[in-house]
Amino acid sequence: MINFTKKPLLNNDLPKEISKFITDELTNYIVIKDGHVLIKNLSESYEDVEIKMAEYSKDRLVYKQYGNLFETEDEALKYNYEETNSGLLIHVPKGFAVKDPLHVFYVQENEDLVNNTFIILETSSELNYFEYLYNMNPCHINFVSNSILKQNSKLNYTGISKLTAKAVATVNRNSYIKRYANAEYNVAEINDATIDSNTTIKLLEEYAVGTTKTVAITSLEQEARFTQLVEHKAPDTEGYIDNYGVSNNNSILVFEGIGKINKNMKRSIARQSNKGIVLGINSRLDANPLLLIDEFDVIASHGAAIGKMDDEQLYYLMSRGLTLKNAERLIISGFLSPVLKKLSTDELKEDFVLTVENKTL
Amino acid sequence: MSILTIKNLHAEVEGKEILKGVDLVIKGGETHAIMGPNGTGKSTLASVVMGHPKYTVTKGEVLLDGKNVLEMAVDERARAGLFLGMQHPAEVPGVTNSDFIKTAMNARLEEGKSISLFKFIKEFDDAVDALKMNEDLPHRYLNEGFSGGEKKRNEILQMKMLKPKIAILDEIDSGLDVDALKVVGENVTAMKNDNLGLLLITHYQRLLEYIKADFIHVMMKGKIVKSGNMDLMERIDTEGYDWIKEELGIEDERVIVEEEEERVLLGVCATKEALDL
Repeated sequence: MINFTKKPLLNNDLPKEISKFITDELTNYIVIKDGHVLIKNLSESYEDVEIKMAEYSKDRLVYKQYGNLFETEDEALKYNYEETNSGLLIHVPKGFAVKDPLHVFYVQENEDLVNNTFIILETSSELNYFEYLYNMNPCHINFVSNSILKQNSKLNYTGISKLTAKAVATVNRNSYIKRYANAEYNVAEINDATIDSNTTIKLLEEYAVGTTKTVAITSLEQEARFTQLVEHKAPDTEGYIDNYGVSNNNSILVFEGIGKINKNMKRSIARQSNKGIVLGINSRLDANPLLLIDEFDVIASHGAAIGKMDDEQLYYLMSRGLTLKNAERLIISGFLSPVLKKLSTDELKEDFVLTVENKTL
Repeated sequence: MSILTIKNLHAEVEGKEILKGVDLVIKGGETHAIMGPNGTGKSTLASVVMGHPKYTVTKGEVLLDGKNVLEMAVDERARAGLFLGMQHPAEVPGVTNSDFIKTAMNARLEEGKSISLFKFIKEFDDAVDALKMNEDLPHRYLNEGFSGGEKKRNEILQMKMLKPKIAILDEIDSGLDVDALKVVGENVTAMKNDNLGLLLITHYQRLLEYIKADFIHVMMKGKIVKSGNMDLMERIDTEGYDWIKEELGIEDERVIVEEEEERVLLGVCATKEALDL
């Protein structure tokens, strides 16, 4: 059960950092500021999808039904469930595949933001979800999204968090995947904020597949930690973790990837790769690719390659006439491709690429 | 018409001299081939002319139309009209072939200008077609997961698109089967014109059946020891290199002696060690 307390809305204004995305090209979007829906623009493809503010659904059956999901020892999660002041419930009915992506912009202006978004995909349904996190003022941000994927459903989850240096943030994205269901998380962490971000995928039943790809760029005095946990709780499950990081200036970036295969979860596949570029003399980038395996009959691999920009790649690109600056830019943009190719409008792509360029100058 | 002049070029890697005085002049419209056994410095010459950071030039000069190439950065050399089809091109994940070539073509234009998208796509498609490559090539990541043959063809594709004045093809034939070699050979031959100077580096004669060379050079001990025409190639084809070594009194033609790599010990996983598990 989660406790929802609505906080007052200061005004209906949107910062230009968000309003610039609202173009004719953008379809199916919701803008939420401080827990209040400012704009909701959905096409008929979302007619049958239940999308509600968390406040309306706090007593609803769905939350009772998944009550055990909200039992946790994690302090940040506990706080989130007790103090929620923003969030959405997105419920895709059985057999219903929505191809057009749903864009949700979460904006903070007044005090702390405690967001809880809950995505439920019924059997054989499909959803493309996109989220954008942004803060206007100094605050703490506690952002949680939980997704439940029932049999044979598919979730494409794309996220950009662009929190400013004024925020201190904890982000938890959790996914619970059942038989034959498939979740793919592509998240770009292009914050200036100090952040602790976690993606947790639990593969609950056979043939469940979970993928998490994280692109993270840190700069200036930023400290950021990204933990990806994929837990295999059934045999014949597949989990993939891919991390791409760039650390600049005096920042510290840590990737903690964990593939966990429990006992008897035979024929499971756990793969993990970390790639990182350290740009500044004082930058730091750590990757700890862990495999915790309690079963013999599995396929597993993990690796990390961290270093400065590859000389051979630079030489190759420059030998075709690209300047050093352009060659570096192209190599970094290559890191961003898992998220970049998921973005639906030119404004979103441009914002993403420019933010990364500024952070990697 | 461009002229590439290499004069008494000496270069070293990690303090070891590999090029020991190379002299060569390549004019637009000419095709030169450098042959020779492994480890004689052929590929080093190509890399030094392009400006690979690993090598240091200790003596001599390289001029392109009178301009000092050795003072230019790698990208300036490329924009001046030099091209190197590499033996082992790097893989760049996440960067698509078409993005890369487009960026490279735009780099040759004045600032603020860019090539027309329509013209680019047409040219690219034609080149992919001519080289009998897969249609999905533009969207694939640069060289990532390419077979040896695909990498070589991709180098020729870039050459087609970038239209250099002087092109060096470093062992473009190694790793190619007969059919692929024919395709590559035909495409390179089709590119020949009075404004293109070509330098082929190879140790197989096979390539020269598809790309006719005007001059054949043999490299040993880090310099060109013998030059001639196709007759020289035919003699090498039938007799090998021993007669040249005898003629010149060379015992060991190599400058690069491959050291046997130290065996890697499979031990504890690095992560485990780092975390003290």
